[in-house]
This record gives sequence, C-alpha cells and structure tokens, in this order.
Amino acid sequence: MRSPIPVMDCHGHIGVHPDFPAYKTDCEAMLAVMDALNIEKLAVTSTLACYNDCPRGNPEVEEVLRRHPDRFLGYVTVNPNPPGQAVAELERWSAFHRPPLIKLHPGLHKYPVHGANYKPVWEYADQHEAVVLVHTWDSDPNCGPLLFPCIAKEHPRARILLGHAGVTWRGYMQAMEAAEAAPNLYLDLAGSHHHRLILEKCVDRLGAARILFGSDMPFLEASMTLAQVLTADIADASKEQILRTNFLELIRG
Amino acid sequence: MPGYSAAEQFSEAAAWDLFDANARVGSSGVHGHLALDRAGLLSEMDRFFIRSAVVSHWRGEEYDAEIGNLALAADNDPRFTPAWAALPDRSFVEALEARQPRAVRITPGTTQHNFSLRSWCAGAVLEFLQDHAVVTLIALADIGWTELETLLQNFPRLPLVLLDIGYRADRYLFPLLDRFPSLHFDTATYLAHRQLEHHVQKRGADALLFGTRLPLFTPASALGVLASAAISDPNRLAIAGGNLRRLLAEVVTRSGRQA
Repeated sequence: MRSPIPVMDCHGHIGVHPDFPAYKTDCEAMLAVMDALNIEKLAVTSTLACYNDCPRGNPEVEEVLRRHPDRFLGYVTVNPNPPGQAVAELERWSAFHRPPLIKLHPGLHKYPVHGANYKPVWEYADQHEAVVLVHTWDSDPNCGPLLFPCIAKEHPRARILLGHAGVTWRGYMQAMEAAEAAPNLYLDLAGSHHHRLILEKCVDRLGAARILFGSDMPFLEASMTLAQVLTADIADASKEQILRTNFLELIRG
Repeated sequence: MPGYSAAEQFSEAAAWDLFDANARVGSSGVHGHLALDRAGLLSEMDRFFIRSAVVSHWRGEEYDAEIGNLALAADNDPRFTPAWAALPDRSFVEALEARQPRAVRITPGTTQHNFSLRSWCAGAVLEFLQDHAVVTLIALADIGWTELETLLQNFPRLPLVLLDIGYRADRYLFPLLDRFPSLHFDTATYLAHRQLEHHVQKRGADALLFGTRLPLFTPASALGVLASAAISDPNRLAIAGGNLRRLLAEVVTRSGRQA
C-alpha cells in the first residue's frame, strides 16, 4: 500500500507518550515509514509541550527542522497557562514557519479553548493568518467541536484545523456542523475511530477542500488513515485534495 | 504505483486468505446507521479481499441471547463462522451444546447480559467452552483487565480472543500473554504507530488475529496496518487468518467432531 501522490501530513509529533509504550519514535524510523507510504512532509508538534512543558518542548521541534528541513514542518505548541507564556513562545519560535503553525491541546492542558487565557493566542493567529491545529473530542467541555464556530467567526483570518475531527461518530457530526457554520474551520482525519462511510459523509457535506490528511505519527499508525482515504468511495480528485493540496494551500504564505 | 482503490491498493491481500475475527451482522438499535445485513457484510468483505469472518449478531448482544442466536442462524452464510451468544444458565448451556459451537461472543456487562464470569456464576458455561476448545470472544470493555486475569487463571485452556483492545493496552497485555498462551487478541484497534510490527518483531505473531470491527469501522484501517507492517510473509499470513484457522481447528480436534 502506497499513496499514488506525495502526501502532506498535517498532524504529527516528536516525542513519546506517558500512557502507553510508543515504538519507533525517532526521526529516522518515522522517515522510513513516510518513505514507504509516500508521505512527503509531516507537520510536527512536541509531545513534551502537549503534556508538560512548552518552553522545553518546542526546541525539540527546532532540532528536527534543523536536521530535516525538507521533510518536517513545525508547529509551535502553546499552553494558555501561565498567562503570557503562549504569545512569548509564538514570538520566540516565529521562524518555524510563515504563516505560523500553532498547536493547541485544550484537552491535555485542561483549559477551555474559548477561555480568556486563549484570547491572546487567537488574536495572534488572526493577525498572522496562522494555521491552528487544535485537539478536539466529541462534546468535550474544553475542546468539543461545537465550541469552534464562535472562535472562527471572531478570528476569520485564522485557519483552524479541528484535530481528529471530534474522533467519534458523534464527534464527526459535531465537527461537520461546526465547519458548516464557519468557512475557516477544517477537519483533520487523524484518529483511531475509522468509521465506515464517515469520510464519504464529510466530503458530501463539506466538500473535499475542507478535509485534511493527518496521521498523528508516531502516536497512531499512518497507514490506517491513509488506507481509509485511498479506499473511500469518493472521487480521485477529492483524495488528492485531502492527501496533499489542501494543506499545501493552507501553509502557503 | 497502485491507484486509488481498494482493489489496487490491496491486491496482494487476495492471496492472504483473510479471516476476520471481529464482525457483526444484522440490525442494531445503537448503530443502525452502519449496520449491515448478510449481503451487505459479504459485499464489504469482498471489497477488501476478506474471505471468511467470525460473525456475531447485534441482536444477541443488544437484546436476548437466544433470540439473537436464532437471528444469527437465519443470517448465517457459508463464509461465516457464527459466534453465538452465551449465558451462564445451565439450560442455556444445553441449547448452546446442541448448536455445536465453534465460537461464542460473551457480553457479560451490566447493561448487556449482566452476569459474572467468576466460576460461581458462569462456571458451567466456561467449563463447557474450555472442554470443547470453543473460541471465546469478549471485548475488553465488557470484562476489564482484572476480571480477564481471573478468567484466564480459572480457565487457562479456554481459547480466549480479546476484542477491541485499543492501542494503549500493551502494559496490561504483555504480562498476560507471557502467562497465558491461550490468550489472543484482534487487530482492529491495535493501531498505534508501528505497534503491530513491533509486537511481531519482539514477541512473534501467534497471539494476533486479523479483525476489522465491521460494520462499524472500515476494514481499510486494519488491512492497511497489516499490509504496511515490516514483518515476514509467514507472520503476515498467520495474522491474516492462519492463527484463527488453527484455533477453530482445535474445536474439532478437542471435541471429537467432524470438520
């Protein structure tokens, strides 16, 4: 199994996980998988930053970008707490990419994505036309998909990727409802719940231009989401948008 | 370079004799938007080169075990191995025995058939299943790790297939696999990065059974993981169906039935 076109992957990580043993997480092992599946570039966020420490996690991304600038893109991961740290991190790592790629994880940081401490981040994202990947989960009070239409409408120049598209069947329904309400919301397919027919429903409701391939490598197995897209009952042109061109267009400065 | 279709992406799987350990048929009160009848399930299996499947019936899981088993018998197909619903009642064990089961799917949760898997409650049915080497499916969410350990300890020769274990399971799973060679699991949700590949490289392929979670999940995911794993062809074939066929053959051997 291999993608017919080089894939642009919007959702990846650098690091390990506390709640299960992660395997083959070094860059070289990830590159071997990317080569085998024909993933040209992977946009990564620091897992240390997602779980524990942004100022110490974001340098891990810098190191990967330095070593493999042609294969990885870097998100700056920010935490709304302590207040003030997030924008300082965004400015510190502004060289990662232009427009900025920002990662938010309200689930792990246990702070609502529409809370006051995130306001400076959304203003920064709007001002810089950033691409913001946010972890989402079905009905979660911190990051449920239905929290996002208001944020997206208030910050229309930010391009917001609903990470995992809410994960569950109901989460996907919420993500689709949210994306219908705001044109700058997009669905990221990274996840472990690959419901039959869900991708077809997303394309039917939103159009392929609002859907992006994400693997969550090296957390989740890239081949499963790739297989879901490649075998979906949608047009080949839609698959090419999802696997490549949509993310390319979003990150273009 | 393969194109954009299941047939082109997975043509090699046609030679793997795929046997799905985790499929359901029939209408569902919870998952009606995804449920498949016999023809629909077979069509989806064909699309992904899946030759055979162990199949339970939603009705036997969501409603009454015996009514579900009647529905399963009505919806059966030569390509299916029925996974009958099972209850601990002695009268039910007799009815089950009459079906000459090769597989069962147990759903003991409090919102399901609501019984304990301890010997004082389910001893009779579990002894029957163990004595006849009936392949016994149970989802992790329906038992939990602690009860699973007790069950394996009490019935160490029961060929148990843990379904839907998820990708965060290894710290629980590995110690149990070390102690209980009768424990197997399906791959439908064993989906962490290179997890299946790592498992085979470090622990061998004997415990893994290809599973899809049809009709809920697309088979593409589990098939993609199996197809892209850097493992030997014999190991890939064992996971694809060889291990499950070996387990099901044991039922015939141990029970003295004809194949």
